[in-house]
Amino acid sequence: PMSVSPHALRSFFFSSSWLPQTVLSRGSHWQTSLLAFRASLPMRAQPKKKKKVDVKREQAQKDRMKKKIKKLEKAAPEMIPIEDFITPVKYSDSNRVRSLPPLSFEETERRVLLMKKWCLFKQKQDKAEKKAIQTLVEAQQEALKELRLESEELYQAAIRRDEELFPFERDGPNYTPPLPGYDPPEGKCVDITKVYTQ
Amino acid sequence: TAAAPRPWRLFGAMCLLRLPRITQPLAKEEEEMAALMGQIELEKSHYSDHEIRKLEEEEQLRRRKESAYDDDEGPGKTVIMAQDLEDKWEQKLLQFEAAPRITDADKNNNRTSLNRKLDSNLMLLVKQKIGNQELWLLPQVEWQPGETLRSTAERAMAMFLGDHVQAKVLGNAPYGIYKYKFPRAIRTEDNVGAKVFFFKAFLQSSDLSQAELKEDYLWVTKDELGDYLKSEYLKKVNRFLLD
Repeated sequence: PMSVSPHALRSFFFSSSWLPQTVLSRGSHWQTSLLAFRASLPMRAQPKKKKKVDVKREQAQKDRMKKKIKKLEKAAPEMIPIEDFITPVKYSDSNRVRSLPPLSFEETERRVLLMKKWCLFKQKQDKAEKKAIQTLVEAQQEALKELRLESEELYQAAIRRDEELFPFERDGPNYTPPLPGYDPPEGKCVDITKVYTQ
Repeated sequence: TAAAPRPWRLFGAMCLLRLPRITQPLAKEEEEMAALMGQIELEKSHYSDHEIRKLEEEEQLRRRKESAYDDDEGPGKTVIMAQDLEDKWEQKLLQFEAAPRITDADKNNNRTSLNRKLDSNLMLLVKQKIGNQELWLLPQVEWQPGETLRSTAERAMAMFLGDHVQAKVLGNAPYGIYKYKFPRAIRTEDNVGAKVFFFKAFLQSSDLSQAELKEDYLWVTKDELGDYLKSEYLKKVNRFLLD
């Protein structure tokens, strides 16, 4: 409830500076005269408008930022480049192309025949492997059958899964056996692989 | 309930394998193919930085010789040529001596050592007394009620090699079986014959210095098994061995 009269009175009082006795003790700077209506709230329209607009503006800004973030998130993640598939530009120079004499007829013939022999060799190797695995499985089945004839309890214990078997790790065979008392040269390995995050 | 006494006695045997340490030599076709693949790779490739540097330096040398020692480089600079680097690397390689692929045990044909035939699987064979015969067998022990067959096989292994052997048994199921009937002299109603169940294990630790090997033992490859095992037994064992 805003009363207009004290406002008008105040402005009138301020404009006339020849009334010194009115500038005696006042409670607060909003209370210009002791007898006038005490305005406990700062009663200017401007600050209230600023506040609303501020709040509104800030909210609008926040919403805009959120919308932008949502749009970015919805967009598909950028593909991580596979470095192996990108040939660096320096390797496409023409002076890099190797100059070798063209292959002779005998050489191409020899290569074709060798490929055919290799094909046959690999086929035989594969068949032998498969046959070996087949006999392995058959031998095991026979053993389990005999065991079942003997005792059901042992059979059940035998076909139970072995939890400790996997994961099974083993270092593969090398070309030469390990050299006893070999002192490898000292050095530090710095990993410079690029790590991409999506 | 007392089950009817079965006429077959059960044994658990362990086939302990030492896996190969080095690669097997390549077959003729494999070697030819490897050479061909190398050639094709060379033909399809481009020059690397090192090769380009080498070619350029060769060009410079030739030009210098043709233009009668025209030193535009300046005598103060000592340039390391790519050829020098290659020679240095070659020297370093020649100085290194790798361990031999064919060990001393191979040359002496010492079949009791584990250091022989590093490119194939080795199996443990022990001499055991069966009936009144001393036979070469995979270590076996009679099954006792209350244990699984796998633990019987592990007990057999521990009996011959001590408790500290690290072996990975491949699963609970047996790999093969050898059934035989006792000779008529000792065959009874309850004791017709025996069934030997084979289990497979991989030897993990390479040193068996702590093993207390009491009886005669051998480490043999699949081909050498025929020298020691009886034919029927060998046939059954060969079925579950890959080589």
